[in-house]
Amino acid sequence: MAVTAGAGGRATAAGQAGGSPGPDRVRPVALRHFARLRLRITANGFRGRPYRVGLFVVGLLVGLFLSANGFLLFAVGAAVDRQTQLLIMALGGATLVVGSVLLPLVWFGIDDTLDPARFALLPISRGRLVCGLLVASALGVPAIAVLLATSGLLVPAARHGGPAGMAVQAIGVLLGLALCLAAGRAVTSALATVLRSRRARDLAWVVIALVAALVGPLQLLVVSAAAQADWDRVASVARVIGWTPLGAPYTVGLEMADGRPWAAAAKLAVTVVALAGLLWWWSRTLESAMTGATSAAPTRTRGAVGRATASLLPRALPWLRPTPGGAIVAREVRYLWRDAKRRSNMIMVVVIGLFLPVLMLGLGLTGGGTGAGPTVTVGRPDAATPLVVLLMMLFIGAFVASTLANQFGYDGTAYGTHLVVGVPGRVELRARAVAYSVYLLPLLLVVGAVVAVVRGSPTMLPAIWGVLLAAYGAGVAVNLVVSVVAAYPLPDTSNPFALGSGDAVAKSALALGALVLASAAAAPVAVTAAMLGRWSWLVLPVGAGYGLGLAALGVLVGGGLVDQRAPELLAAVTPGR
Amino acid sequence: MSHGGSALTLRGLAKRFGDTVAVAGIDLDVPEGSFYGLLGPNGAGKTTTLSMAVGLLRPDAGQVKVLGVDMWADPVEAKRRLGALPDGVRLFDRLSGPELLAYTGLLRGMDPDTIDRRAAELLDVLDLTSAGRTLVVDYSAGMRKKIGLACALLHAPRLLVLDEPFEAVDPVSAALIRDILTRFVAGGGTVIFSSHVMEVVERLCSHVAILDRGVIRAEGTLDQVRGGRTLEETFVEVVGGRTATGEELSWL
Repeated sequence: MAVTAGAGGRATAAGQAGGSPGPDRVRPVALRHFARLRLRITANGFRGRPYRVGLFVVGLLVGLFLSANGFLLFAVGAAVDRQTQLLIMALGGATLVVGSVLLPLVWFGIDDTLDPARFALLPISRGRLVCGLLVASALGVPAIAVLLATSGLLVPAARHGGPAGMAVQAIGVLLGLALCLAAGRAVTSALATVLRSRRARDLAWVVIALVAALVGPLQLLVVSAAAQADWDRVASVARVIGWTPLGAPYTVGLEMADGRPWAAAAKLAVTVVALAGLLWWWSRTLESAMTGATSAAPTRTRGAVGRATASLLPRALPWLRPTPGGAIVAREVRYLWRDAKRRSNMIMVVVIGLFLPVLMLGLGLTGGGTGAGPTVTVGRPDAATPLVVLLMMLFIGAFVASTLANQFGYDGTAYGTHLVVGVPGRVELRARAVAYSVYLLPLLLVVGAVVAVVRGSPTMLPAIWGVLLAAYGAGVAVNLVVSVVAAYPLPDTSNPFALGSGDAVAKSALALGALVLASAAAAPVAVTAAMLGRWSWLVLPVGAGYGLGLAALGVLVGGGLVDQRAPELLAAVTPGR
Repeated sequence: MSHGGSALTLRGLAKRFGDTVAVAGIDLDVPEGSFYGLLGPNGAGKTTTLSMAVGLLRPDAGQVKVLGVDMWADPVEAKRRLGALPDGVRLFDRLSGPELLAYTGLLRGMDPDTIDRRAAELLDVLDLTSAGRTLVVDYSAGMRKKIGLACALLHAPRLLVLDEPFEAVDPVSAALIRDILTRFVAGGGTVIFSSHVMEVVERLCSHVAILDRGVIRAEGTLDQVRGGRTLEETFVEVVGGRTATGEELSWL
């Protein structure tokens, strides 16, 4: 039953286009209408919900802090030599653009305040809609943070290039922001379309395997490049990046300062072309988002049904018993595969879980056994390198568990089924943790084995596994509790990367907090493991036990919370509140 | 255990959202064996009332008793006696029909053999067997209502609480649902459902309550409430509707 409070915000906002002169004359929709619509929806979202205002303020502060750092970094260009300046601008700018593509995919999700599907019935041309959505998305905290950070570029541009340089760089900053926004939207929109269809998910796994396979050769390349550490060569790379859309908008001020206005003009042109291309790509995929292509891929139909209970409990998990807990495990295991939102979350976790450790090993941060790369040493050299590896495992284990952080949000109002039946909180949480572990535990074991092999120290494997299990258990404990007390609704759209309006940054901060807490809880295991030396195999049973104990504690505490506040939990995950 | 022949008892039930009073203190007795229609215009508080009755929404004040058991004091026992079909709450729709029935049955702690037998029978009667392994998300609106009803019936409750069971349902499915509910009441069960379709309520119900702006405006047996008129006339009078004069909307 729709547990909605008061009048919906969207209905009020729809009145924005009002005041038309008459039924027969139609005025075109101005871009400011999209901007005002977005602001109105955000404002209505705050009405009577002080916790949302709080989340927003936290997100704003985090955004301001980050953008202040970025501003200083870019502004420092005014005081250093040209080559360093180029490095900062080209590489910093490229990081921003790449980050605005990758971060929504793996961590932040994309702000979906204006869902394209809502405009499907309105007579708005697709080009105008894309521009309007772009303008609206520029009003979010991340966009404003990027704008503030990159406006640091104006300082060196004004100092070395005068008013003209500053003006050109200002255009570059604005175009760069548009580029970041368009890139993030276009890629998530396209990927959403791809990941939605059931056949494409198999393709996604192939791509993941390929990426993972490519990491090996790539790391060798990076290591050898870093070993030579030739700044002139890096600068020439930066110069090339400066001519690609990744760096072009951020280096135009530099060209003006060097007295090459033609180069600045060409770089602006490069940016505009890239932007136009991205917008065109976005508008292509927007079509399917607008027509709600969730039902595009028909499910397997017909066919022998057989016994109902046998069809629910997967044959691959013969240990599942026909009990309430077993049913939830079975349902959740099937959902992780069938539900696009859960699936994309899971795929991204797998990518990061495999990608990050191998990449870091490749960069030599953890000091490979015989590698020629730079070695980071902390304290006693013989103890330090295993410690860094184990701390990394700590992070991976805790990170992987963060998939549980909004598990009830994924259910949405379907969680009401559990309320009608009355599922005990502990049964509920234990079953959910088991279901996620069906996928995540094998992943962790594989990651541990890969790390041990790549590092050339198979004797460390028990310790690595022990730390992974302890960190995963701690992560499960923290995230089970978080999933009950800080659940939030996911919008009912076809984009699996969509987050609700406004407080995306604050939600990410919360997830980060959970990650830190879980890592801290399991840190003693990692430190002990590093000190044990050749007794480190003891860490496997100890770490596994520690993780299991913490997870059980999480089930106990979180389960009690579910029993106390199940109706409030349902209200929290109901969209449109 | 005596509950005075009342299958569902609401006492002083109230709920407000922010400044809006959704339900302003409702007393209602649904007699055992009755077919009870809860009528009201959109926004009257029907869904809020039924949500509180089945344990989906915590009331600000008041009491709910299901066959004598207090819903908010002993939810486990109360929920065991009750089958519910909420409106606006999604099912776990990435399961197929049989999977969903098995899921609901196992959640209720039922014996697997019983679940399999009843699920096959329910799917057959509700004409859902031919859907096979189609996921519920790809069902039509009518099919979704039917599988929801099957989930509510699976554990053979004595009380059914249905929110808008006939909304967006085609005539054939509606007739089927009506038939099953009538048989359920004939077998000694109790049904309370919300609707704003007068014909359905008039045809099925033994008892009626009219809810408007969070308050019960009229209640009793069907004949008591309509008092010699049609139910629609009574309803419009009680709720106080507005009729068009024919002057407005001339540009249409």
